[in-house]
Amino acid sequence: MGLDTAKLRKRILGEHLPLLLCLLYFAALAPFAEGFATSYNLVNVFSAMLPLLVLATGQTLVMITAGIDLSATAVIAMASVVGAMIISGDVGWLAGNPLAVPIGIVAMLLVGAVVGAINGTLVAWFRMPPFIVTLTSLMFFSGLAIWSTQSKAISALPHSFLILGGNDWVTLAIVATVVGGIHILLTRSLYGRWIFAVGHNPKTALVSGVPVQKVLVGAYIAAGLIAAVAAILITSRMESGSPVHWQRNLLDVIGATVIGGTSLYGGKGKVLWTVYGALFLTLIDNSLNLLNLSHFTIMMVKGLVILAAAMLDVLRNRENG
Amino acid sequence: MNKKLGLRCLNNAPLLLFATVFLLLGLASDRFLDWQNLLNIGVQSSSTAIVAIGMTFVLLTAGVDLSVGGVMFVAVAVAGKMIYSGQPLWLSFLAALVVGIIAGVINAFFVTRMKIAAFVVTLAMLFFARGFGLWFTQTRAMNMPDKVTAIGTSSVLGIPIPLLVLAVVCIAAHLTLSRTPFGRQIYAVGNNSDHARKAGISVTRNLFIVYVICGACAALAGLLALTQTGAVSPSFGENKEFSAIAAAVLGGTSLFGGRGKILPGTLFGAVLIQTVENGLVILNANPYLYPIITSLIIFFAILLDSIRSRALESFHRRPIRPTDFQTNP
Amino acid sequence: MNTGKPSIKTALRFDSIVKEFFGVRVLKEVSFEIGEGKTLGLVGENGAGKSTLMNILGGNLQPEEGSLWFGGQPFSPRSPADAEVAGIAFVHQELNLFGNLSIAENLFVNCFPTTGGLINRSRMFNDTSAALKQVGLNLSPDTPVDRLSAGEQQMVEIAKALARDARLIILDEPTTSLTDIEAGRLFKVLRDLQQQGITLIYISHALEEVANLSDDILVLRDGEVVGNGPKSSFSQSKMISLMVGRDIDHLFPPRSHTPTRKPALRVEKLGRKGVVKDIDFTLHEGEVLGISGLIGSGRTELARILFGLDPVDSGNITLAETSILKLSPAARIQKGMAFLTENRRDEGLCAEASIADNMTLVAAPRFKRGPLALVNRESISLEVTRYREAVRLTKSAQNTQQVKTLSGGNQQKVVLAKWILNQPKLIILDEPTRGIDVGAKYEIYSLINQLTQEGAAVLVISSELEELIGICDRILTMRQGEITGQFNQGEFDREKILAAAIH
Repeated sequence: MGLDTAKLRKRILGEHLPLLLCLLYFAALAPFAEGFATSYNLVNVFSAMLPLLVLATGQTLVMITAGIDLSATAVIAMASVVGAMIISGDVGWLAGNPLAVPIGIVAMLLVGAVVGAINGTLVAWFRMPPFIVTLTSLMFFSGLAIWSTQSKAISALPHSFLILGGNDWVTLAIVATVVGGIHILLTRSLYGRWIFAVGHNPKTALVSGVPVQKVLVGAYIAAGLIAAVAAILITSRMESGSPVHWQRNLLDVIGATVIGGTSLYGGKGKVLWTVYGALFLTLIDNSLNLLNLSHFTIMMVKGLVILAAAMLDVLRNRENG
Repeated sequence: MNKKLGLRCLNNAPLLLFATVFLLLGLASDRFLDWQNLLNIGVQSSSTAIVAIGMTFVLLTAGVDLSVGGVMFVAVAVAGKMIYSGQPLWLSFLAALVVGIIAGVINAFFVTRMKIAAFVVTLAMLFFARGFGLWFTQTRAMNMPDKVTAIGTSSVLGIPIPLLVLAVVCIAAHLTLSRTPFGRQIYAVGNNSDHARKAGISVTRNLFIVYVICGACAALAGLLALTQTGAVSPSFGENKEFSAIAAAVLGGTSLFGGRGKILPGTLFGAVLIQTVENGLVILNANPYLYPIITSLIIFFAILLDSIRSRALESFHRRPIRPTDFQTNP
Repeated sequence: MNTGKPSIKTALRFDSIVKEFFGVRVLKEVSFEIGEGKTLGLVGENGAGKSTLMNILGGNLQPEEGSLWFGGQPFSPRSPADAEVAGIAFVHQELNLFGNLSIAENLFVNCFPTTGGLINRSRMFNDTSAALKQVGLNLSPDTPVDRLSAGEQQMVEIAKALARDARLIILDEPTTSLTDIEAGRLFKVLRDLQQQGITLIYISHALEEVANLSDDILVLRDGEVVGNGPKSSFSQSKMISLMVGRDIDHLFPPRSHTPTRKPALRVEKLGRKGVVKDIDFTLHEGEVLGISGLIGSGRTELARILFGLDPVDSGNITLAETSILKLSPAARIQKGMAFLTENRRDEGLCAEASIADNMTLVAAPRFKRGPLALVNRESISLEVTRYREAVRLTKSAQNTQQVKTLSGGNQQKVVLAKWILNQPKLIILDEPTRGIDVGAKYEIYSLINQLTQEGAAVLVISSELEELIGICDRILTMRQGEITGQFNQGEFDREKILAAAIH
């Protein structure tokens, strides 16, 4: 019996700790934050969580390879602007064309794939540090997005596009497809095995016949594509294409992934954990908003929470090692 | 022989880049090579150069500090508030420096004691500091009284004060890195921290000090920028981490540690970046282009760095058959 | 025991030193002494206990029993710093220099002379110049170390020892990466040091060097002193027979199979500048071919080239009658190659991953189905069960357990299982039994036997000559990137093989 409780405890702490934290946090804050524990608010939380969850899933993929993708928000900016430039009813190149929305969506995905391919190539073939590569592309592509719009938002997006992020059920379907797809990729497919192997030990992977460089490029392209999906949802939800969408939320994306338990040192991570992490961060965001704390306080709290999560990651690794 | 020549080209690539930029800008605008404009570039460079000097210390140990922009902002926000509330200038400035040092200590603590990857610690610090600063200033811009901007525009013996400060910091940093045991040990740590430990160097202590120096430099650079702009705006110091890393790497500091110099290296990198920005202003370029061009410059700098590191690596590999490389006497 | 001259003081004395690792005695009451200013040549096979002995002297390890005397005083170093303070310096095979610093800075990196906080450069340079002069290096103290050749770097390490007033210098295989000219220079310096009365311990596989330089010889085998005395009483052949003489009959399973004449792998005129030259051999199906050579002889590099991990300048590699020269490692694996690397932790395992994930890493592509490349979990787990039994992995280990929690022997079995699961036709084993116990070794040898019975060809690289003699059909020797000898079963002569690998 002693063994069973130990096992159970290990499982909860190892697998579902962030979920437990969510529940504890929820229970602790419910009496103080007015309107926190209402079904209306909970729907809000889940709805707000969806884009973050998509982004963090892409981040999880890259982080398992022992990399990081800081360019996610730049992909959002760039894809949002490109998409809006194509489909906008005012200034869009294909305004009024029935094929505008599908072409726009493909173009947005293409933006993500291109940015990801650039990141991946530099990391895998030029062996440059991932954080500096993606930091540079963050700066470049958000700069490009701002320049190409002169920092203005593009509105008048077609109605059929607005459904994607505006209707919670449609959004949920898209998010579930992406997140579920990545989950299956990581747990069931050959590529998933290769991604973990590259993150665990790229030298061993190479000797064992894993195409390490292709796997890395693939992971960054996938992360770029996923960020583009998030860009579609966000652009649609905000009803405008803008180069500053999510500009300040980069740390949320990293944070949700790390809080979930995905290791910054590679080889360890799960989509389910990331779901927990995204939920936790969204709960914090939502509750602090309800407590009427300013945007900046929330930013600080999140900075601390993420640092704490990174510390937990180090401690857990030390204990195991 | 050919390999050596290639390596030399790689090592001097930034110099070639600098000459090209200067030449192009000089040709594009006759105002660019004006003495007053060149002096301006020097003064404008002072703030970036000092952040980059702090960054150079960190990069030499194969670490990185992404928080400098945020730290700059918090430091001047504190100083600005104190000046507003009638505190003397020297005390406010001192407080700013203390803020920078504290931020450095926090970074250092998490990097050296908790052993968290430097870029994560400093990224979290960047967000935390920016958030703290915004809360502290209530996102309002603070315009400084004239006595603050007077520091930025006055000169001693014909040399503008910002340039003087820069000169002092440059020389101090250069001496520290090239002439003190601590400085030389930083290079050893950056070259191979395992070897350094085996050689009896206190790696943890060295790393700690390096992050504190970087924090202090960021605060000082913030103050210099404050004396020039005369205002604490919510975007103060934004993206400074980029220009600081770029300046250091352009000056020949390696992201992989152990290689780099303040003089002329980092100073020269900072001036190059400022020159580009100044040139863009003179050419009336769209200000939204600046980050795009800066990031392209950084990109080439780190690309060069990565190629150079690999070239060095293969250059120094010890052969099994040394006879293959022996030339007959 | 001593050289017989009572006037010579004892510099260092080991008195019944015992060291155990996890209950296994690796040093069994080792006793010897070195006279002040004398040179001791320390020889023994890999694993004989040489490095353990020196690690105790250097303060990295502490003995379980026995005592150490240095300069007439009891000496028990707890850390490398203690040894340094006492005047003991190491020159390791792996140099501990900083390429980005100057020679002078490397000499004083943890004890810079300063005045007023700044490094006193003139003093540092003067001291460095003096030390460099002693080692015969005519270089400016300001020269960056990464501009120096391997031989010059070795001299800098010795100069470092001298600059710190070391009275005892230990040299561990100092000549492996030196050219003959550089080695000659090193010997001249060592002779000068001997003149100056510095005590030396010289560890090397190159027995001729040892015999030339030393006053006394100490031979270690299996953690025991099997020979000690003035060098005049040791011929080279005596040293070799003392080093290897052990009854090995029951350590190896009997060979149950004779190789075919069908070539599995043909290597022709293979060369890479600075690494290997003119490598020519054929490996047949069902054959176990051994490569004997010292560390740094190019044997591992040859294996990496054969497997496609390193580039090649000239020559050809043919597997099953088709050239594989242009193929990637992954493609070679598909053609039936396998490569167990010498470095289990860095290149053999994903230490944090589970046993099952490690075992299936190589063969996973064979289990993919459909456009999503989903892996068939049932059939793959059947294979895991089958092969963990085939390699006799410990029954107590769970398939989901992290590999790093296993013992060395079981870890190696996981790596083997990973390759065998892919049913290879040619297996390269680089130091397959390094750091594992006798029982696990026997099981790995049996497995090699079994693989050849099934028609696979096996190439074994090992530093342990007995192991090669015990399991191979044929042995090649390598030195400085070239094949220097070939021995067929029946003409295995330890001394001849060793001689071919060393000279």
